[in-house]
Amino acid sequence: MAKRVIIVDDSRAVIATAELALDEMISSGVIEFKSYLNPAELLGKLQSGQESFDLLISDVNMPEMNGLDLAREIKKDERYKTKPILVLTTESSNDMKMAGKEIGVTGWMVKPFSDDKLVKSLKMVLGV
Amino acid sequence: MGNIRLLIVDDVEDNRLVLKAICRKIEGFEIQEAQDGLEAVEKTASWLPNIILMDIMMPKMDGFEASKIIKERYPATVIIAVTAVIDPHMEEKMSAIGVAAYIHKPIDKELIRFKLKSFQSVLRAKQGEYKKLSEREAVNPFSSDIRYFKTVFENVDPDAMMDFGMWILGRCEDGSGLSSTKVDALLELFYELMRHEARNVQGISIVAEESFEALYVTLKFPKAVVLNTKASALIREIGADCRIREVFVSVRLGLNMVCLLPNRYEKTLIKPAVSEPAIAVQPAEKVRIESPRMSEEAFKEPESVKEKREIQSEEKSLLRQSFVQKTNAIDYVSEIGGDVLDEIRDLESLDAEWKEKLYIFEQNPTPQNLYNFIDGVLGVYVSAINNLFEFTALAYALSSLGVFLKENVDTITQDPSKLKVLVMLTEHLGADLVSWREHVFELRDTADIHYLDSSFFSSCMQIEGIIGNKEVCAEDDDDDGMEFF
Repeated sequence: MAKRVIIVDDSRAVIATAELALDEMISSGVIEFKSYLNPAELLGKLQSGQESFDLLISDVNMPEMNGLDLAREIKKDERYKTKPILVLTTESSNDMKMAGKEIGVTGWMVKPFSDDKLVKSLKMVLGV
Repeated sequence: MGNIRLLIVDDVEDNRLVLKAICRKIEGFEIQEAQDGLEAVEKTASWLPNIILMDIMMPKMDGFEASKIIKERYPATVIIAVTAVIDPHMEEKMSAIGVAAYIHKPIDKELIRFKLKSFQSVLRAKQGEYKKLSEREAVNPFSSDIRYFKTVFENVDPDAMMDFGMWILGRCEDGSGLSSTKVDALLELFYELMRHEARNVQGISIVAEESFEALYVTLKFPKAVVLNTKASALIREIGADCRIREVFVSVRLGLNMVCLLPNRYEKTLIKPAVSEPAIAVQPAEKVRIESPRMSEEAFKEPESVKEKREIQSEEKSLLRQSFVQKTNAIDYVSEIGGDVLDEIRDLESLDAEWKEKLYIFEQNPTPQNLYNFIDGVLGVYVSAINNLFEFTALAYALSSLGVFLKENVDTITQDPSKLKVLVMLTEHLGADLVSWREHVFELRDTADIHYLDSSFFSSCMQIEGIIGNKEVCAEDDDDDGMEFF
């Protein structure tokens, strides 16, 4: 069954490049791809059960809500406690790493990332 | 600041005249001509030009041979090849010997000016550093014992401020022991002071002076300095290392390690301020001046299958500038002047044009239609964002995207699939800018006005990667692409 991958990023261009990179995995039915520009909207839908995921990729720096705060909220929910979350960042500062670890985020990817790296990371995390 | 020496090499007199007419319009250039490669080599030896516009096909000695000799003997010379022949093989050969840029005939005068100006500003920033201190007494109030050099950034406009920022952040990384925290505070203060003078840049200059122990940076205004609350707070933070008198604001930055010298002074013995073991060091400034994109191409590793587009150190510095402070949108907007805000609001009128010009280009992919988008829309955005001071990273990403697109106009116009992807992604970039304006200037609901900078930067790089068939990567990236917490 296709794994549901959600990306949340305030930048349409980032979402579009990720979708391009994952094109093959999407069209071959390995993953389902869904994107959100607004973290609050995604959080609401996850909490109300209208949305779910097997892997969430989240930007860190977003205008409405920080990606780590989003992850923290999601991880509070029993349904998503064990689901992998990757964060996208340009600066892998120590503070960020500490916060990520504490929240239970699976890992981070440094932007900009190449198509290959995104695909590779996804396969690794999803085990496909 | 001395003029930049520009040598125009072309065997056809008309071509030289055209180039000369274009270049004369840019201030700060001294121009000489040569008729063939041999004369170019001779002129270079006697006159030491900083930049050479080099034709390729010439009698006696062609541009390739001449460039090779010149780059061997005078590696700091910036050579821009200008040619009517589109020959990727030759371009590769030229970039392998260190030719910084390639411009195709017929000449696009805006492109030439843009390139020359960008090389000029980099050269000036670097040249200033090598200038020996004049006899004039020190500007800073801390010390008159200025040993090495004095860098002057004159008539500081947003571009020059960016040069200064890059220069000083570069100094933090060259091992001279400048503390980046202090430099960040200084930059924040200068940006704050400049922001209020943004409409009146004439006569503002930055002077950097250096003794054995410290680097003194002074911002000089045409009239007495007025401080707002934020600037006062920053000055308090910097403490005793900041002094203000009349039109001068000076900051002292300690150099707490072995003092490093730019290569011109390499051989001079320097007493270390503290007796630490001398460390093997690179000359402070490697004279490798290229347009924003050229350097990685020219110095790519041969074994990699795909070329790499990495974040370069200047770009990193730029991004760091954005991370210096986390300002929320409400504070930010209340601080900037109303006229700056108006300029940003005016950008709204470009939203439709952004889409329209892209649409026209997609329907009719001619170089001219792409240029119309780059110059008519992208360029306007760049200058408006530049005026904000705060968003140099954003402006840089946009302007280097413009330069990249112009350089790759043939690839884009001839490859329908790349064209499609480019138009799609660029449209998204436009939408991202609209929402950025909304969050920062209208809704003011973001806790960090720089939230878009890095995403935007990396999107621009990814577009360049896709169009140029390059693998994009962050500099310190590992092979797996992701890391586990």
